[in-house]
Amino acid sequence: MEVRVRVFRFNPEIDRRPRYDVFTVEAEPMDRVLDLLEYIRGDIDGTLSFRRSCGHGICGSDAMRINGRNMLACKALVKNFETNEITVEPLLGLRVLKDLIVDMEPFFEHYRSVLPYLINDEPLPEDGRERLQSPAERERFDDTTKCILCAACTTSCPSFWADGHYVGPAAIVNAHRFIFDSRDRAAAQRLEILNQQMGVWRCRTAFNCTEACPREIKVTQAIAEVKRAIQTGRLD
Amino acid sequence: MSELKTTLAGYVTYRGREGHWSFLLHRITGLGVVLFLTIHIIDIAFVYFNPVLFMKAIEIYRSTLFGVGEIFLVFCVFYHGVNGLRIAYLDLFKPQGWHIESQRRSVRWTLVIALVLWLPSAFWMLRNLLIHNYGLFGG
Repeated sequence: MEVRVRVFRFNPEIDRRPRYDVFTVEAEPMDRVLDLLEYIRGDIDGTLSFRRSCGHGICGSDAMRINGRNMLACKALVKNFETNEITVEPLLGLRVLKDLIVDMEPFFEHYRSVLPYLINDEPLPEDGRERLQSPAERERFDDTTKCILCAACTTSCPSFWADGHYVGPAAIVNAHRFIFDSRDRAAAQRLEILNQQMGVWRCRTAFNCTEACPREIKVTQAIAEVKRAIQTGRLD
Repeated sequence: MSELKTTLAGYVTYRGREGHWSFLLHRITGLGVVLFLTIHIIDIAFVYFNPVLFMKAIEIYRSTLFGVGEIFLVFCVFYHGVNGLRIAYLDLFKPQGWHIESQRRSVRWTLVIALVLWLPSAFWMLRNLLIHNYGLFGG
């Protein structure tokens, strides 16, 4: 089948404004959008820039807007689009560095702001090995361990579009992962950070984040659970 | 790109599903309610400061344009209220309801409930408008 791929192009060193280039390529229904982009870069236009790494939905490098929705190019199959025209654009709300590559630093800054690591200064267990937890305690935060930091959720969020200072869904998901971890001791600290003006209360429950997450994390639910923990002070 | 430009581009071009549309409708209806409240506070203030102007305002409200506007205003109030209750209930009492299927369903039901509440009042308001402004139905 023949697919028309419209690709957002912008090189800030040369272009005054962005444009869309159209490439007509032969594709199989099971081809991924990433395959089409690789073909365009390899065989048609070597100047096309985009990020990719594993190509299997794990590294989170190739999140982009495809036909208006955030998704990973390596998980978007040609057959799943209703049309033979595919428009590929960079993530919204982050500065475009070149073509489909955006500056992820503000996103990672928000991620770091919620202390996304285990904090526990208590002495190690007597055997000096791991801090044990029950399967139920582990299950409590299982969903939010799946985040791959692709930024598909944060850049689909209207609150983040409106104000880049908003910490965003991905950072809250990663805070949730530790807030509800029975081994961690810094939940109160994280809840205080997220209780600030640019924390969880900027969430307007538009739900784009949950729809966009390639790992099917229940993002809005995680945010609501953090809101409730702030309100009640309970971590159940 | 400025944040305002990004926001507007996202509102219009991002192909979100029910949640995205519900978010936008909530904002639009919210603006409608705020606009009404502002006008209402100003015209009621005229009663004290300038009664003649108040009567003039009432006259304007009887025009067809304002009559139709009021019908849509009632929709704004109903939708914004029902959707607000949905969000508050899920966020405060049932976070596990923020699940793709149940969320899509709850958005659709919110619209249905708002329409069911709105249609009877819209009917009566439109009827009154046609009676008083166009002399229909024996008016």
